[in-house]
Amino acid sequence: MKIAVLIKYVPEATASWRFADDRALDRDGVEGRLSELDEYAVEQAIRLAEAGAATEISYLTMGPPRAVDALRKALAMGGDRAVHVVDDALHGTDAAGTAAVLAAALRRIEADLIICGMASTDAEMSVLPVMVAERLQLPAVVNAAVLKVADGSLTVERDTEDATEEVVAPLPALVSVTDRSGEARYPSFKGIVAAKRKPVTTWSLADLEIPADRVGAGGAATEVLAVRPSPPREAGTVITDEGDAAARLADFLAANKLL
Amino acid sequence: MALRLILGLLMTAVAFTVAGRRLFMLYRLGRAAQPADPGRTRGGAARLRAELTEVLGQRKLLAWTVPGVAHALAFWGFLVLALTIVEGYGALFQRDFHLPLIGTEPWLGFLEDLFVLATLVSVLIFAGIRVRHSPAREGRRSRFFGSHLDAAWLVLFMIFNVVWSLLLYRGAQINTGNFPFPGGAFASEAVARLIRPLGAGANDVIETAGLLLALGIVLLFLVLVVHSKHLHIFTAVGNVAFGRRPRALGALLPVYSAGRPVDFEDPGEDDTIGRASIEDFTWKGMLDFATCTECGRCQSQCPAWNTGKPLSPKTLIMGLRDHALAAAPYLLAGDKSRVDALATAAAQTPLVGVDGVVHPDVLWSCTTCGACVEQCPVDIEHVDHIVDMRRYQVLMESSFPPEAGVLLRNLEHAGDPWGRGAGARTEWTDGLDFPVRTLDGERLPDDVEYLFWVGCAGAFDDRAQRTTRAVAELLHTAGVSFAVLGGDETCTGDPARRIGHEVLFQQLAAQNVETLNNAGVRRIVATCAHCFNTLANEYPQLGGAYEVLHHTQLLSRLVADGRLVPVTPVDATITYHDPCYLGRHNRVFTPPRELLGSVPGARLTEPARTRETSFCCGAGGARMWMDETIGTRINETRTDELLAGRPDIVAAACPYCVDMLGDGVALRRQQDRVDEHVVVTDVAEVLLRSVREPAGPAAPLTANEPRKAQP
Repeated sequence: MKIAVLIKYVPEATASWRFADDRALDRDGVEGRLSELDEYAVEQAIRLAEAGAATEISYLTMGPPRAVDALRKALAMGGDRAVHVVDDALHGTDAAGTAAVLAAALRRIEADLIICGMASTDAEMSVLPVMVAERLQLPAVVNAAVLKVADGSLTVERDTEDATEEVVAPLPALVSVTDRSGEARYPSFKGIVAAKRKPVTTWSLADLEIPADRVGAGGAATEVLAVRPSPPREAGTVITDEGDAAARLADFLAANKLL
Repeated sequence: MALRLILGLLMTAVAFTVAGRRLFMLYRLGRAAQPADPGRTRGGAARLRAELTEVLGQRKLLAWTVPGVAHALAFWGFLVLALTIVEGYGALFQRDFHLPLIGTEPWLGFLEDLFVLATLVSVLIFAGIRVRHSPAREGRRSRFFGSHLDAAWLVLFMIFNVVWSLLLYRGAQINTGNFPFPGGAFASEAVARLIRPLGAGANDVIETAGLLLALGIVLLFLVLVVHSKHLHIFTAVGNVAFGRRPRALGALLPVYSAGRPVDFEDPGEDDTIGRASIEDFTWKGMLDFATCTECGRCQSQCPAWNTGKPLSPKTLIMGLRDHALAAAPYLLAGDKSRVDALATAAAQTPLVGVDGVVHPDVLWSCTTCGACVEQCPVDIEHVDHIVDMRRYQVLMESSFPPEAGVLLRNLEHAGDPWGRGAGARTEWTDGLDFPVRTLDGERLPDDVEYLFWVGCAGAFDDRAQRTTRAVAELLHTAGVSFAVLGGDETCTGDPARRIGHEVLFQQLAAQNVETLNNAGVRRIVATCAHCFNTLANEYPQLGGAYEVLHHTQLLSRLVADGRLVPVTPVDATITYHDPCYLGRHNRVFTPPRELLGSVPGARLTEPARTRETSFCCGAGGARMWMDETIGTRINETRTDELLAGRPDIVAAACPYCVDMLGDGVALRRQQDRVDEHVVVTDVAEVLLRSVREPAGPAAPLTANEPRKAQP
């Protein structure tokens, strides 16, 4: 069984983000990383390989040239090879366009199981897994906490508010995993060195035979009209205990309709 | 005479063969080990000084008076007794042999006898110590817990045998007229008087038998020494000679493979990173293991051992030595398939693992406080070995306590252990009534005296922020111009390096060195003892050479120069806790005490463990970021030690210490075991209280109000 893992290179959460004149995130001015939520997807793939259920793991990302760092990080954790879709025309692509590009790449990779994180830590839309599955006409199971593969089918447990569901889908299939699926491993130096020798293939839009006008800001179904920074967080209220702290705390909660 | 000679030489030949084979094996084992880091022979003067003070002068042994004196007697006794061995061998050839030149001087006879008795006294003291502090009586509290006790008693017994057999032979020699000394040898003369009544014939036999017995015992002792922990009588000289000078504390060594530093950007195919197995240790490591005498001084000071954790620096070193010896036949064999099964099994036991030579709990219990290194009379470098083993576990196996993963990820992604990121680094300046110059990538202006290295704790930790502000306010008050790096500062890499993640350390350190060098920084003041140590001692390894001061050093200078004047009395008893990385690792003991001493009204008390023997707060060696689940908590133990002096203020000079001890005091307060008013704070805050005019809205009035005036 071959696995493809979709990963995203996202800006560091602790860094200050800046937006460029075209209202897209200024990626050059901010450090990036492999999305933390995607690390769980990488981890699940490697665990399947370690358990003997998978024979090959490929990573796929679409992003600016620096996104190769995310691929290297994933390869340092484990896995075999990576594909980087990079093209200047992709700047400003929306979720639907991204799904189309990734689906096109996945058709070439030919995986039996596609694993994604539950959301990206920057845009946080959580729509990409199902969009990609739809493009590929694959069954999709989202937000899996436990993932098993046996006899050509995928079994997952997914937690909802009221119950834990057990869902089965025939392979090939797509699954997204939550941050409760299992702590992601910390890559060793040995892994980092090994990752430098693993193949990373670069594909352009032309390689995927996707016309440039279908992607980018121009091909997007939506348009960002404005970007306004969030108001800075206000300092919290500190209650110093002078014998009446409990009462003041209760008043505060009541005043904010939390009681 | 012929019989004497033949038997004597025969014994010697047998003993030398047995001991020689053993020594040759040990030598081969040392040769098979990795090359040591370069610099082990540099600095001859310091090495000679160490030999003179630590070996001849027994400096570190004498830190413990009674056992120290006993050891000094035995050590000097054996040096002088070496003369009697030469005399004994001479007597094999010529019954009335004496040493050339001084061989018949009465003072030499006196000296020899004096040290024979000194050795006897030392054996008695040692025996007394071993009985009094036997593990059977004291359990884990005994420094001999885990040592090879039988071997130790056998050694004492053999030294005792050396003493009496020598006196017997010398006494008989006097009676037969073959003794080289006409007088002075008072003890030998006493024995002579005792055995004279046996007659000339008997004394003749006793002389020969006694000589052979004395030489035989010495030879047997030699064989015992090379097969036991007593090997230190030969190896200690070398171990001190090749030890890190001035001491194996402060900076950690970079990762060396085959004696060369590893380039993590482009590592060689055959590079070994850290210690994966016993073969990866250097010959100096092997010499360390061979030199351990199991005295347990390290164990008695170790914060991990003293709080019920499985780590004892002594048993760690002993375990490595025993493992090296068990695996030696395999390691040294040309044809590995013909090695016996036990040695092969030993060689294949993993170095670190639940079933390994070193249990992971042992490896991760270390706070790198250096109390063991400080104590060790033969300069074993425990901390370096522990970090080297951690390096392999972290870098090659990704194996470490899972909670430490948060630390490593935060360091990697945010540049600080808290994961707060560069943007929050200057939040501590909010509310100060003067501006703090922030470089933000600019060059340090010429009029700025110091770069103030805030540190991650100083920027993000609530308690440490108060210290940062206090220091900033004091510098501002004293008119010292300073600037901070702001968002360009990252963790110095101390926790990464000490947990064993050398790659991350190198990345963080290289980035900081670049920032500091680009800003033209020459002088740095830091409040964190760990930052201070790394900046001052480790950044030179990466091309960052700065004059680094700890804030207590700078503040004490400012007080001495009259630029800061503590005026307001602080009516309090203050106990000062020496942070390991400020005190033991960097020998800054006096400035914090001077600062506290300069505060009017302050009464300084010293805890039982202080200065060089200060007890760790529990946060060093990246332990700050790991759970402490085994045994009792180190910070609580240290808190209780500090509270024993009934202080009003516990003062420290490191944010980790203040945090750990602050938690300890808070817990004791909760348990009603300490008074409500007791606080834990940095030395700087105490000074600030005293430098400020009496605070509070009513304060300015009190001076003018007669009825409120102080007497």
